[in-house]
Amino acid sequence: MSAFVLMLFAALFSLALHRTFVFKPFVLLMIVLSGFLIFLKTPVLMYGFAQSSATNLFLLVIFIALLAFTLSEDKEINITQSLFIGAASVLILRSATLLTFVFSFEAVSIISFAVVGHIRSSIQADGAVKMFISGALATALIVLGLALFTFGGGNFNLSLSNMHFNAFMEVGLWVMLGGIFYKLTIVPMHAWAADSYANIKPSSAALLSGIAKSVVFVAVLKLFEPFFIQTLHVSIFILIVLSVLTMTLGNILAMFQKRVGKMLAYSSIAQAGYMLMVFIAVKSSYAQIGLLYLAIAYVFMQTALYLLLDNIGGGISDITLDDVKGLVKKDRLVSFFFAVQIFSLAGVPLLAGFMGKAIATYAVVDAGYWIVALIALLNSTFSIGYYGWFIKNIYFDHGVKQSRVMSVTTSAKIAQIILLGGTLFFGIFAFVVFHTSFCSL
Amino acid sequence: MIYLLTIFLPMLLAGYIYLFTRRIGGAKYIALALFVALFIEAWLTYANLLPSGYTILGSYLDVKRFDFVLTLQVDRFSVIMLLLVSVLLIFVTLTSWSVKHQSAYFSLLIFFAGPIFGLFMSTNLLWFFIFWELTLIPVYFLIGIWGDKQRIFAAMKFFIYTHLASMLMLLAFFLLYKQSGTFDMTQIKEGVLTTPALIWWLLFIAFAIKMPLFPFHTWLPIAHVEAPAPVSSLLAGVLLKMGAYGMIRLVVLMLPHQAQKYDYIILILGLATLFYSAFMALYTTHIKKMVAYSSISHMGLVAIAISALSFSGLSSALFEMIGHALTISILFVIAGIFHEKTGSWQMGDMGGIMQKAPYLATLFVIGGLAALGLPSTIGFVGELSVLISAIMAHGVWLAVIAAASLLSAGYFIWAFRRVIYGKQSKVVALTNFSINPVVFGALVIFAILVIAFGIFPQFLFSGIDRAFDTYHLLGGLA
Repeated sequence: MSAFVLMLFAALFSLALHRTFVFKPFVLLMIVLSGFLIFLKTPVLMYGFAQSSATNLFLLVIFIALLAFTLSEDKEINITQSLFIGAASVLILRSATLLTFVFSFEAVSIISFAVVGHIRSSIQADGAVKMFISGALATALIVLGLALFTFGGGNFNLSLSNMHFNAFMEVGLWVMLGGIFYKLTIVPMHAWAADSYANIKPSSAALLSGIAKSVVFVAVLKLFEPFFIQTLHVSIFILIVLSVLTMTLGNILAMFQKRVGKMLAYSSIAQAGYMLMVFIAVKSSYAQIGLLYLAIAYVFMQTALYLLLDNIGGGISDITLDDVKGLVKKDRLVSFFFAVQIFSLAGVPLLAGFMGKAIATYAVVDAGYWIVALIALLNSTFSIGYYGWFIKNIYFDHGVKQSRVMSVTTSAKIAQIILLGGTLFFGIFAFVVFHTSFCSL
Repeated sequence: MIYLLTIFLPMLLAGYIYLFTRRIGGAKYIALALFVALFIEAWLTYANLLPSGYTILGSYLDVKRFDFVLTLQVDRFSVIMLLLVSVLLIFVTLTSWSVKHQSAYFSLLIFFAGPIFGLFMSTNLLWFFIFWELTLIPVYFLIGIWGDKQRIFAAMKFFIYTHLASMLMLLAFFLLYKQSGTFDMTQIKEGVLTTPALIWWLLFIAFAIKMPLFPFHTWLPIAHVEAPAPVSSLLAGVLLKMGAYGMIRLVVLMLPHQAQKYDYIILILGLATLFYSAFMALYTTHIKKMVAYSSISHMGLVAIAISALSFSGLSSALFEMIGHALTISILFVIAGIFHEKTGSWQMGDMGGIMQKAPYLATLFVIGGLAALGLPSTIGFVGELSVLISAIMAHGVWLAVIAAASLLSAGYFIWAFRRVIYGKQSKVVALTNFSINPVVFGALVIFAILVIAFGIFPQFLFSGIDRAFDTYHLLGGLA
């Protein structure tokens, strides 16, 4: 857990370095060092936690995204908070028992509340309060679930593999999943997310929707997989309905948005639907790789898009589709970044988003639910409606004269190049992901 | 390795050209040189083909777990498609010689060359899909940026519609992989599949959208009309051929038993497309729309030829595809020039162009006559061979196809009467029809090819006939 300790140290110590010129170099160095420790597979040495090659790869991806975040972000307190998110990500991705999972999950939640806490306007307050209330509800459900599970299982600190689940344990886990689904923005527990992601500072939305959400998704599948496999005959119907609803509703609502931030928020809900879809395919050997790939792609795409939005809006979240009209004439490079990441979200090949979607969908076909796969693919066609429209605004339309779009700094552009590199790399070199597994090292 | 470069170099080069030729210009020369080089490469590949079966070009990026392997193999059919594509790309470059925003335009065109070559060379279905989908992006931008008034609607409809086709195809590929354990189209045997009918239908609808066959055609007329003229010829000459290629390669040759079971579906949709589009072409007064419907009508002929499921049917389909690409390209470009010069799309506003621009008008007449199937043009040979193979396969009643030829004679000759001959209109009298000699040269070369292949079709047939003779095992093929 040396990476966790180092990240935690970096987060705490960086507070002391605020407003000094060494702040950013220090943070960058710490992220690189932590990434290096993950790369070296330093032993975990803590009860209840375990590492695997897949989670290590995912942590590296998270750290790369944090690196880009640090380069792009101008608010030092946000950067410090992103380090806390990095530390909590190490915890949650390596948690091997239910207790450590709940513990780390709450760590992620609390930092998320802090991230949305910079309230500058009533709109931002709206987003932050909605997130806080739904987060509190989610926590209540998770704790209730843990209590029920412990009552049924008789032990506080259990891993879920090789276990027979009695009724109390099953109910407990489902209550717990209900709470977790709040965080994962699964319909009908999604309503807070659209407002929160769209109203808070876009770079904070990048942390929450791009990084924190994908981390939780991977951790949930990793930990709950044995439970899903054992009880799939009961839960399959619920999971199918939830995932289809989530992707469809997310896509439909995204279509009607005028603000880019809100469109991305609904698109993020739709992507959560694709990720949840993988859960119905847990029996397929492609499920874990599929979700991991989807999550990796998602970290790059979503972080990049929200960071770009933050850059061109100067930290304000109300950039509309009209504001980006004719953006290509103003800044070709930024338009190109937007286009590639949007195409990746839409599932255009040779970009990471395509491989993620393809393998996740194949996992579902492999598990025998080709109709669900068809619905997901049709949803993907549907999403072209707003992704294509966004690109159209940037490239085909003529700009409005008094555009509110600001120019983007060089370090933010470097950050975008890093994220673009990730999207391209994972779009072509699939073997990197295929050679990993979730088995403990 | 050279073939891997053929695919990925243009895609990388496109970005470089976009960034570095904005000030200094010259993008069109690079594009032309690249496409000529691609043509030579395709020609050399053709010359070095094995006498039967596939020639292996290489295999890259091996991910065994998901069969994510870029396997490049070609046979005569795919190399003929490569030759056709490279000729069309050269034609599009030459006819776009004085287009606006050249660095962006030609870099998109160069980007397009990579995946389209990959598509016809790859036998791994996953990579086939990847290249298929990648070709959409440059065309989306070409229509959306350089198109006419309704370009945005056309571009969006094109993107959504063809993406829908791709998604159905992807699902079919996934089912194929699950049931046969491989993405390699040369390894998949129909016998091992558990749901061949489902896969067949998914693939059929996907390719029917792309070809396009009635009633899945609605994206194409608007895309054709709104796209700049050279891009229209790219759409007709290359993108529709992707659909026909998939239809032959995957729907018929990979799943022959299902194709035999449902051949009447292909036939009915082919006939519906043929007649519906012919009537639409007769009805419209918009010159480019008329050419567009004539183009769709010819794809109906290709579908009818495919539905014959015989060697002669497939060869005549391929011949018709080549003929269609050559003639329709001429017509689209000249229709575009007429619009650009007169400012109108309506045939009623034109009239007597022959007196003002005799050479251009003559080229339009040659293209039109070839499209209606006049003997001594490539159109005649194509239509006749389709007719014969269809009658041989389905019976004498298919002589009804000849009626469609009559309809196309109707709308083309009527168009000549309204646009080329007749009384000179006021608009035409005020118009200067002078065009760039490079564009004119490209049109002349294509017109010569149209007539030359009409008089000496054996030159094409000698290559085409051998394209399908390795498929001895196909159920009903004789």
